[in-house]
Amino acid sequence: MVNLTIDGKEVKVGKTATIYEAAKEAGVHIPVLCYAKKLLPYGACRICLVEVEQMKGRLIPSCTTPATEGMVVTTMSDEIRKVRKTVLEFLLVNHVIECPVCDKGGECDLQDLTYEYEVISNRFEGEKFDLPKDEINPLIERNMNRCVLCGKCARVCDEVVGYGSYSFINRGFETKIATAFDRGLNCEFCGQCVSMCPVGAILPRPFKFKARPWQLKEVNSVCGYCGNGCTVTLGTKDNEVQTIRFNDKTGVNDGNLCIRGRFGASYVNSDKRLTSPLIRKNGELVEASWEEALETVATGLRDAGSSTGILSGARLTNEELFLVKGLAKAVGTGNLDHSGGECYKGVTQGLQETLGLQASTATFPQVENAKAILAIRTDFYETHPVFGMVVNQAVKRNDAQLTVIGDKQGKLTRMPHARTLQHKPGLEVNILNAMCRFLLDEGLAKIDGLQGVEELKVALADYSVDAVAAAAGVDAAAIKQTARELATVENAAILLAYGLPYTANSRELGLAAANLSLLTGIAGRAGSGLYLCGEKSNSQGAIDLQILPAAGALGASGMLKAASEGKLKALYVAAEDMLVSYPDKSLVEKALEKTSFVVVQDIFLSETARKADVVLPAASFAEKSGTVTNAERRIQRLNPGIKSPGQAKSDFAIFQALLSALGATAPADEAAAFAELSAATSGYEMVSLDMVGDQGYVWGSDNLAPEMRNLVAVAGGKAIEAKYQLVVGSSLYHSGTTSLHAKGPMAVVAEPYIEFGREDAAELKVVDGDLVKIKAAGGVISAKAKVDRRLPKGVLFAPYHFGALDLNRIYHGQAAIAVEVSK
Amino acid sequence: MFREFAKGLSITLKHLLPGNSTTVDYPKVKLEMSPRFRGLHRLVPTQTREKCVACYLCPTVCPAKCITVESAENEQGEKYPRVYKIDLLRCIFCGYCVEACPVEAIEMSDEYELANYKREDFNFEKERLLR
Ligand code: SF4
Ligand code: SF4
Ligand code: SF4
Ligand code: SF4
Ligand code: SF4
Ligand code: FES
Repeated sequence: MVNLTIDGKEVKVGKTATIYEAAKEAGVHIPVLCYAKKLLPYGACRICLVEVEQMKGRLIPSCTTPATEGMVVTTMSDEIRKVRKTVLEFLLVNHVIECPVCDKGGECDLQDLTYEYEVISNRFEGEKFDLPKDEINPLIERNMNRCVLCGKCARVCDEVVGYGSYSFINRGFETKIATAFDRGLNCEFCGQCVSMCPVGAILPRPFKFKARPWQLKEVNSVCGYCGNGCTVTLGTKDNEVQTIRFNDKTGVNDGNLCIRGRFGASYVNSDKRLTSPLIRKNGELVEASWEEALETVATGLRDAGSSTGILSGARLTNEELFLVKGLAKAVGTGNLDHSGGECYKGVTQGLQETLGLQASTATFPQVENAKAILAIRTDFYETHPVFGMVVNQAVKRNDAQLTVIGDKQGKLTRMPHARTLQHKPGLEVNILNAMCRFLLDEGLAKIDGLQGVEELKVALADYSVDAVAAAAGVDAAAIKQTARELATVENAAILLAYGLPYTANSRELGLAAANLSLLTGIAGRAGSGLYLCGEKSNSQGAIDLQILPAAGALGASGMLKAASEGKLKALYVAAEDMLVSYPDKSLVEKALEKTSFVVVQDIFLSETARKADVVLPAASFAEKSGTVTNAERRIQRLNPGIKSPGQAKSDFAIFQALLSALGATAPADEAAAFAELSAATSGYEMVSLDMVGDQGYVWGSDNLAPEMRNLVAVAGGKAIEAKYQLVVGSSLYHSGTTSLHAKGPMAVVAEPYIEFGREDAAELKVVDGDLVKIKAAGGVISAKAKVDRRLPKGVLFAPYHFGALDLNRIYHGQAAIAVEVSK
Repeated sequence: MFREFAKGLSITLKHLLPGNSTTVDYPKVKLEMSPRFRGLHRLVPTQTREKCVACYLCPTVCPAKCITVESAENEQGEKYPRVYKIDLLRCIFCGYCVEACPVEAIEMSDEYELANYKREDFNFEKERLLR
C-alpha cells in the first residue's frame, strides 16, 4: 500500500496504482483522453497533467506516473489550467469542428473539455485535416479528420481483442491511425474501437444520424446470444433499440462486446417479428386471438397428456424455464428437454459422473491470471468471443501459455506463442486421454483423494502419447509439454465449449476434460478452473434448472425419434428452430409431420414454426425481465427496454396464461417465480433476487468445489477415412439462428458458405465465391466456397446457422462427415 | 368644476379628430414589425437544400417541446432533417431555437397572422417553414 496526498486529501492505494487511479479513488477528477481503465497506460494526450511537490519544475502526466509513498499532488492550478487549455488548442488546430453533424456530439470528450476549459479562440493556426472517410464496411465508420491520436483504438484492438487492425502511420502533423496498407477496415467488427474512441473518429454506422446520445434511454440488460452473458446497455428511443451503449461498470465483460452483442441486437426491431398468434385452419396459418390460441393449445396438450413432448431453447430466462417445468407437470408428461438434448446432456453427464457438478468451477476474471490455458476446440473464440478476449489478455499481459486442441486453425491459434495441437477431426478425447496418461506415467498427476486412478491407468493403456500423437497427427512433445504445464503452474484453466453443432462425443469430452482437470488439480482450486461454456445465453440456467427428461421419459433425440414414428401426440417447441439447427433434418421433418399437434413459440416465423399447428408470438430479450445464468454461473438480470410488437407476449406471460388455462397455478410474476425456483434449484437455495446486483451473483461462489473426485475411463474417437471430411461449427458472426435476423451480423456474413483450406482449394481449383456441391450420406448440399488459411488438407468447414444450406441433411451429429466435393 | 370638465373633454375630442388615433385599422392597415419581433419561424434554405443539419439542438432547448426533428442521411451522405416540424399551438415564441442553432438555419419572421380553422393546420412541416 502507498500513502499519498491529492489536493489535500489523504489517499491509500495499491502499489500498482497510478496518480490518476489514486485520484479517482479519492474522488478527485482529472480529465483524460487517452486513458482507459482496461488498457495499459500510454500517455499520449497530456491532458491529465498534474503538479507533484516532489517533482517540481515540470508537470507530470498522472495516467502513466505510479503513485509513490508521500507524494503530494495538486490537480488544478492556474498553470495546469493554462497547459491543459494549450493542449486542447493544439488538438483543435487541425480538428475539423463539425459537432452539429457529428454523432459523437453530446458525449465527446474533446467537446466536453473544450467547453470546460473555455477554449473559445485558438492562438495557433493550421490546416484542417482533409482525409478521406472509411465507409467501406457497413458497421464501422472512420473519419480520421476528428482523430485526436490517443491510440485507444489501436490499443484495444491489440491488447484486448487481439486482432490488431490499426497502427499509427506517418510522422509529425501527418500522423494518423490506419489499417494495413491504409485500406478500408475489414476485421471481426467487434466494435471495441468504436466504444473506446473518445471523439467521433470511429462511429457505429448502423446508428449514423439516428439520434443524439442524450435522447437515448439506457437500459442495462444481458446479451441474448451466447453463454458469456455480457452486459449490453440498450440505447432505446421510439420503442426501438437504436444502438448499444458503452458500459464498463456493470457485469463481467468490462464493456467488451463481440459483433453479436454490439451490432446484433437489431433483430428485436425487425418487422418480421411475429405479432399475433397463428392457428392452422384449412392448412393455412391464420391470425387468431390469444384466447382462441391458448384454448386450442390447452385442449391439444390436455388431449395428448403424457404423450406430449416439450422442447425448450436455452435463451429463455430462468423464470420461464421454471414455468416450462411447471407446464410439463401440468400436462402430465416427463418428456422435457432443452436445446439439442444430447449435446448438452452429454457434457453435463460427463461432468456429473466425475466431479458431481454440471457447471464451470471458476469465474472468467480468474482466467486473466492463469499461466496455462487449454482451449478445447478452435471454435472456442467463435462461440464465446468475449471470453476469448479474456484469454488474449492472459496471453498478452500475463504471458500465459495457450494451447488449443482443434481440428483447424483460428483466432486462438494465432495468438502469441500459442501452441496448436491440430488433430484429425474427432480425436479431441484421445489427446486429452494421452495427457492424462502422461501425467499418471510421469507421476505429475495429483492423485490424492481421487477415485478410480488404477482403473483409469488400465483403461488408458492404449493412449500413450506417442500412439495418440501418431494417430491424431499431433506433435508428441507438444502434448507432453501441455500436460506438464497444466499440472505444474499455479493457475491454469481448461475451456470447453459446447453447443448444437458440437454434438459428437460430447459425454466423452466432458469425461475426458473432467479427468484432466482432476489429475491436474485444476477442478476446484482457487485461481484455476474447468470452464463449461454453453452456446446460448441461458444454457447454464437450463442445466441448473434441470430442464431434462424425467426418469424413464424421453429426451430431445428420443422425443424426435418417437415423434417421427408417430408415437407422440403433441410437441411443444419454445424458442428453437429445430429444422435448421438440430442435427438430422429429415428426422425433425418427419417428427413434425407425424405429430398431430405441434405448438411453436418463437419471435419469428421460423422454418419450424411454419410447420406448426399453433404459433405463439413471444418476446425478445430486450422486452422482458427475469434472470439468466451465464457460463461462469453468474445470475444476471434482464431488464426490458422496449415493448413487444403487436400482441406478442413474453414467454413468461404465455406460460402463465397456459398454466391457468390448464387449471394449474403459476407464480404471479418473475420475482415470485425466482423465489420459487431458487428454493427448488440446487446451488440457488441461498440466492435471493436482491443479491443479484449490477455485477450479478455467482451461485456456488467464485470457486465451486467438486462434489466428488471420480476418474472415469473413456474411450477416444476414431478418425474417419475419407479424402474430404466436413466439420460443422459456429461462425464468429452468428449465434444459433437468431442472428440471421440481425442486420449487423448479416452485413458481414449474409450467406452460408463452405470453407476450404488453400491446399484443397488449389487442388480442386476452387476459388472464393465458386458454387460447390458437397455430397454425403443423407443428401447433397451446395453453397459458395470460401478459401481461407484455417483448414488442413482434406478438412472442410461449414457453419450451421443457415437454414438455406440444409447442412443438417448430412450432419447427424458426427464429429466429421465424409464428403465428396464437386463444382 | 365645469371648466376642468370641458378641458378634459377637449383633450378627448382632440384625439377623436382624424389623424390623431394610434389604433391601426387592421386588417386594412398592417404594422411594420420591429426587426427583433418573434413571429412565425422560417427555416433558411440554401441553393440545394435546407441549411438545417438536424443537430437536434433546437428540439432539445425548446421549453415547450414543440419541435420535432428526425435526422437522416441524404444522397450526398450529409445529415439533413428528414422531418422538421413545429407545433405552433404549443410554441411560446421564446426564440430559444434561434439562439441555439449553431448554423443559423432557423429564424423568426415578422409574420404573426397565424389563425387557422383546424388544429392540424398549426403543424408547420418543413416545406411550410422553408421560405
Ligand atoms: S469529434 Fe467531438 S469535437 Fe470533433 S466534431 Fe465530433 S463532437 Fe465535435
Ligand atoms: S472492430 Fe474490433 S477487430 Fe475491428 S478494428 Fe475495431 S477493435 Fe479491432
Ligand atoms: S481514432 Fe479515436 S481512438 Fe483511435 S486514435 Fe483517433 S481518437 Fe483515438
Ligand atoms: S454474443 Fe456472447 S460474447 Fe458476444 S456480446 Fe453477446 S454474450 Fe458477449
Ligand atoms: S438547431 Fe438549427 S441546425 Fe440544429 S436542428 Fe435546429 S434548426 Fe436544425
Ligand atoms: S490521459 Fe494521461 S496522457 Fe492522455
